[in-house]
Amino acid sequence: MHIDRYERYWLIAVAATLGAFFAALVATLVVFGVSLPSPVGRVNPQNLEASEFAEPGVRYIGGNRYQAHIVARMWQFDAGPEAGAPPKIRVPAGSEVNFFVTSKDIIHGFYIQNHTINLEVIPGQVSQATVKFNRPGVYQIVCNHYCGTGHAVMYGEIIVE
Amino acid sequence: MQATQAQPNVAPVSFPRLDMLRSERNLVGVHIASALIALTVGIFMGPFQAFHRAPAFVNTFLGQIPVFSYYYQAVTVHGVMLALFFTTLFIVGFSYYVTQRSLQRQIKGIQFAWVAYALMLIGLAMLVFTLANDVTRSAVLYTFYPPLIAPAIFYLGLVLLVVGSWIAAFLVFWTYNAWRKEHPGERVPLAVFAILVNYLMWFISSLAVAIEVLFMLLPASLGWIQTTDPQLARVLFWFFGHPLVYFWLIPAYVSWYTMLPKQAGGRLFSDPLARVAFVMLLLFSIPVGVHHLYADPGVSQVAKFVHAFLTFTVAVPSFMTAFNIGASLEIASRNNGGRGFWGFIFKQRWSDPVVAAQLVGMLLFLAGGVTGLMNASAQINITLHNTSWVPGHFHTTLGGGVTMTFFGILYWLLPLLRGRALFSKKAALGQAFTWLVGMALFGFTMGEAGLNGAPRRADLANSPYMTPEASLWLNGAAIGGMILFISVVLLFVNIIGTLFFSTRPVEGDAPIQTKVEAASPAILERWRLWIAIVVVLCAIAWGPVIVEALDLTNGFNAIPYTPSGAPLR
Repeated sequence: MHIDRYERYWLIAVAATLGAFFAALVATLVVFGVSLPSPVGRVNPQNLEASEFAEPGVRYIGGNRYQAHIVARMWQFDAGPEAGAPPKIRVPAGSEVNFFVTSKDIIHGFYIQNHTINLEVIPGQVSQATVKFNRPGVYQIVCNHYCGTGHAVMYGEIIVE
Repeated sequence: MQATQAQPNVAPVSFPRLDMLRSERNLVGVHIASALIALTVGIFMGPFQAFHRAPAFVNTFLGQIPVFSYYYQAVTVHGVMLALFFTTLFIVGFSYYVTQRSLQRQIKGIQFAWVAYALMLIGLAMLVFTLANDVTRSAVLYTFYPPLIAPAIFYLGLVLLVVGSWIAAFLVFWTYNAWRKEHPGERVPLAVFAILVNYLMWFISSLAVAIEVLFMLLPASLGWIQTTDPQLARVLFWFFGHPLVYFWLIPAYVSWYTMLPKQAGGRLFSDPLARVAFVMLLLFSIPVGVHHLYADPGVSQVAKFVHAFLTFTVAVPSFMTAFNIGASLEIASRNNGGRGFWGFIFKQRWSDPVVAAQLVGMLLFLAGGVTGLMNASAQINITLHNTSWVPGHFHTTLGGGVTMTFFGILYWLLPLLRGRALFSKKAALGQAFTWLVGMALFGFTMGEAGLNGAPRRADLANSPYMTPEASLWLNGAAIGGMILFISVVLLFVNIIGTLFFSTRPVEGDAPIQTKVEAASPAILERWRLWIAIVVVLCAIAWGPVIVEALDLTNGFNAIPYTPSGAPLR
């Protein structure tokens, strides 16, 4: 089969470029530790009372570290009575927050504007991500997965002080 | 005995050049006409959504224009009618036309083609009915993820559409087989080669969504099962979801590879490498779907990176296409008097709407390809996922490359079907260039809005989380929507004008290739081999993902809901 000389050069350049792109992804994962959401366990959305999500909320676990359990439902994020509704989660600057999010009803999203966390929140699954908040400010939590009529008002805030 | 054996079942048909056989006109015509009905229902919802998401528009007009409600219904109608019905009906009709003309024979079992058409048409009617009738409950969007459960008629209509397309696929396989028996050692024309690839890929991948719909969604809607597994449903959907975008794209590639070179005044640069590209699309378009699930909790990171790698692999045939089509256009341009190193880029037949529409599609598709590679880049995707960047991206691929190529095809196919010349070349050119400007603006502003934190598919003009930057860009997207609305009006000037008011005789013929030199290796037509490799690749790439998502003891515990917030029962 005849392959034109320039097309051969082009294919080599394409393969090299795409190879470099993929190598960059792997390096980002392995060297810089930027990972994607991975399975951390299942829950029964009809019986969250019997799970780690029985009492949603933010807990201080020492050092600069916090653990947040959040339950998404139509059309609110429940981060415990202290955070209120819609939730306002307060943490000091420099905190590292380990989020565990699940859904009580249908699929939601857990996305923080201008940050690096973006999770699908699926009933039956636990979504987990660890995020560091260095700069003070208000970070808005947005449900970015369509969840019915009230989808566009489902939100919360993280106030970094 | 000898004499009867030598006689082929169906004698090759000699198709008239500027006219159509009656059977051909009827069959292709009804598919294109029905595709245009789906287009009409769906396309006007587009600008409406852009307006509805733009704070400036909503705060000026809300309450004054009655249609400014039902945003999620509009999203559902737009997606279902355009991405599922317009594309499928158009592709099935176009594939019949290209197969019959290229192989110079009638489609095998044409009576079954009418059965398939009837199924798809009933499916279309069912969807239109439920979307209009059950405004809230059927607003589950065209991805219909459970535990949101639509009325059963929603899923039944989609089942009929897919079953109809399967029948159409098998009729093309059957026709090819008959041709192959009579033409040993010959190479099948490239257009038919690509259509075979497209239907094979479509059939294999849609088995997964058929399982999702028939064993999970439909029974849940009817109350036969009480719970679903939404993570497993997403896995099955995206087994199908990514090949779906290639199912739209390959017919556009058919036009670029086998028709555009002649329409532009040249010839195809390399037929064999086009075939290699299509085989690569067949092999690698299915084992990549996890790149839609990067943010999902129930899929392991290993699978995500395996699919990321394969996604970069499936970009290769599109880069090959860029070279091959680019080189073909250069040949055309040099024939048309293009000079110099860059001169060939501009020396195209921009005044021919059939060519201009496809070139516009390619320009938009370039943006779509680049943003697609960004989406494929796993960690970058996390900052883009489910933001309005994503519809910004796919409006330049599906709404750009594919749709403008389909419109380009329409600008010669509609006159051939009607037997009259295109009503207005000026309107067609105006349509193409307003589409370019409108969609480029829409894609860019939607992307920027997404980077500034605006989610996709949200009626968010007055959302509490709207930022000033996102508002600004979404207002820009509404201006894009307005320009696209003008483009749509110009499109309908030609559709209605050509069908009812054109008096001049048809001029342009479809450049269909019926014979090829056997320059490509015979192995490229060994379909059993390619199917076997597809199965192996899918087993490797999807097997572990499905096993991980499928948990019969702890899974399947999500009860169905309606979009209004209440449990279904």
